[in-house]
Amino acid sequence: MPAALVCVDQVVTRFGRTTVHDGVTLEIGAGQVVALIGGSGTGKSVLLREMVGLQRPTEGRVRLFGEDIACVDDERLAALRTRFGMLFQDGALFSSLTVAENVAVPFREHTAFGTGLVAALVGLKLALVGLPRDTLVKMPAQLSGGMRKRVSLARAIALEPEIVFLDEPTSGLDPIGARAFDRLLRTLADSLGLTVVMVTHDLDTLTSIADRAIALHAGKVIADGPVDDVARSRHPWIVEYFSARAPRRSGDD
Amino acid sequence: MNEVAPPSLRWSREADGSIVLFPAGSWHLAESTAVQRELAEAPPGEGRSFVIDGSALGSLDTFAAFELLTFVGRNGMPVDGVPMRAMHERHRRLVTLVADRLKAGCAVPAARRLRFVPRIGAAAIGLHEMLLAHSAYVGHVAVELARLARRPTTFRLREAVAQFEAVAIDAIPIVVLVAMMIGVVFAYLLGVQAQQYGATIFVVDGVGMAVTRELSPVIVAVIVAGRSGAAFTAQIGLMKVQQEVDAIRVLGLSPAQVLVVPRLAAIVIGLPLLVYVGDLAGIFGGAAISASQLGIPFRTFVTRLHSVLSMTNVLVGLGKAPVFGAVIGLIGCRMGLSVSADARSVGVNTTSTVVQSIVWVFMLDAAFAVTLQHLGW
Repeated sequence: MPAALVCVDQVVTRFGRTTVHDGVTLEIGAGQVVALIGGSGTGKSVLLREMVGLQRPTEGRVRLFGEDIACVDDERLAALRTRFGMLFQDGALFSSLTVAENVAVPFREHTAFGTGLVAALVGLKLALVGLPRDTLVKMPAQLSGGMRKRVSLARAIALEPEIVFLDEPTSGLDPIGARAFDRLLRTLADSLGLTVVMVTHDLDTLTSIADRAIALHAGKVIADGPVDDVARSRHPWIVEYFSARAPRRSGDD
Repeated sequence: MNEVAPPSLRWSREADGSIVLFPAGSWHLAESTAVQRELAEAPPGEGRSFVIDGSALGSLDTFAAFELLTFVGRNGMPVDGVPMRAMHERHRRLVTLVADRLKAGCAVPAARRLRFVPRIGAAAIGLHEMLLAHSAYVGHVAVELARLARRPTTFRLREAVAQFEAVAIDAIPIVVLVAMMIGVVFAYLLGVQAQQYGATIFVVDGVGMAVTRELSPVIVAVIVAGRSGAAFTAQIGLMKVQQEVDAIRVLGLSPAQVLVVPRLAAIVIGLPLLVYVGDLAGIFGGAAISASQLGIPFRTFVTRLHSVLSMTNVLVGLGKAPVFGAVIGLIGCRMGLSVSADARSVGVNTTSTVVQSIVWVFMLDAAFAVTLQHLGW
């Protein structure tokens, strides 16, 4: 059994008087597609930010690749950061750079490759996420939401990360675009051997591509396991969550 | 497992002349130099067919697959459909995926860069278009003002007052400081010259006229251009980027009424008041340095000022201020509304607002000086 890539240990997070996490503990191993679910305001995105070291938990530890991300020095942190990628909710592309330049940023910052090789790799990454060639010279503002997410994913996987963290990958996409993005994620996860950790509200994403679901509620993990097992949980919030989309019928059963 | 072993490449020649590549170890971006070196030392098999044998391959990522396939492609073999044997299922899928995408072509078109002369031409055309758009915008705002004049109740007093506070009230300390320093410098330099002729008392005439007519209006306008003009552009520009301006429009409001008119009102009213504050501070600075360095008592300074400073000078100075204010406000708001949807353009437009405003202030000031001279004011 390989060591866990992400290890969250008794994390407590407070903003002023509000307690967002009240002792969250979980482990994520290699090669899984893990979905964090929970209602709005249950701190899913905050947990994600704590996993990548953008935010410090009030108490407890978060270990990424076995290292406590809140305590490592800047050099180690920079090295760790080349081993994971992050997709922000709205893509967070650099608005003053073209699509190709956006994806080239990690190569320029972390490798010594020449212009030609970088251009070829950028082209490859964008092809991997299924973008047509004419998008390369466009500016992020000229792209649709789905395309921006694809570009952002290409940037996130540029340096061959072991993990990608995704914050609501399918929010703001139409159902067709969202399912296409799901398939893309699954393909990449399978062929690149990526570990995917995502925050999602999308039941379809959850049931179609996630191997495992972790449900947060009231600052705790209330369910953790294969999606089907979690869906069978008797916890009232989970019952409500999984029935939120069920077709309503009139009359009796 | 060979997961952590450095990448290496062996090869062998088959009986049918094809070359079998045996990549081994960890073929990963982190080992990019080793991967490239191994491939550079591989046999140039021009026109030969390659087979990839994955039996010793520890790990593979898209970068290494790309390099491997590029090597094969360089030797004249199509990158898709390279025969593979003894490959781990995951590696096979990865190579196929990369080959697929490579075939689709992934060269990045290079961006075009202008040379020196075309760049001057482009800048000239850009300036021309900007000035045209400015004059069109003046017309647009005039129409909005006329609309406001017909329905004065739609004026957003609360927003105008908030802007007035930011433009005028908050600027008082810096205006006082800068104007006073200018008064000090001007009186001192003038005094040193005048002393040679024993005519130090004329320093009062000079300071009074220079500060009220020229120095205070221009200095205050430059300060306000840097503070408020830039703020207008940055605020409105960010609102534009975040589609707040569109939201205003969709709610049936006019961005000009909501954003531009209150700011214009604030700056047109605020600037003369600041100039007046600057007048007082500049004269006070001049009087202070005259008392301490030139031997003109404060009381004498004031009496002399009272008899020599004509009202015309003060009014000309105060009269120029609203014009400067209107120009700064219009440029600031228009540059904000013409921000395109990216972060860089907010910066570019903010810089442009300050530069344009200052240039316009000095050009208008020169025009005022010449015109008013001819009018005998």
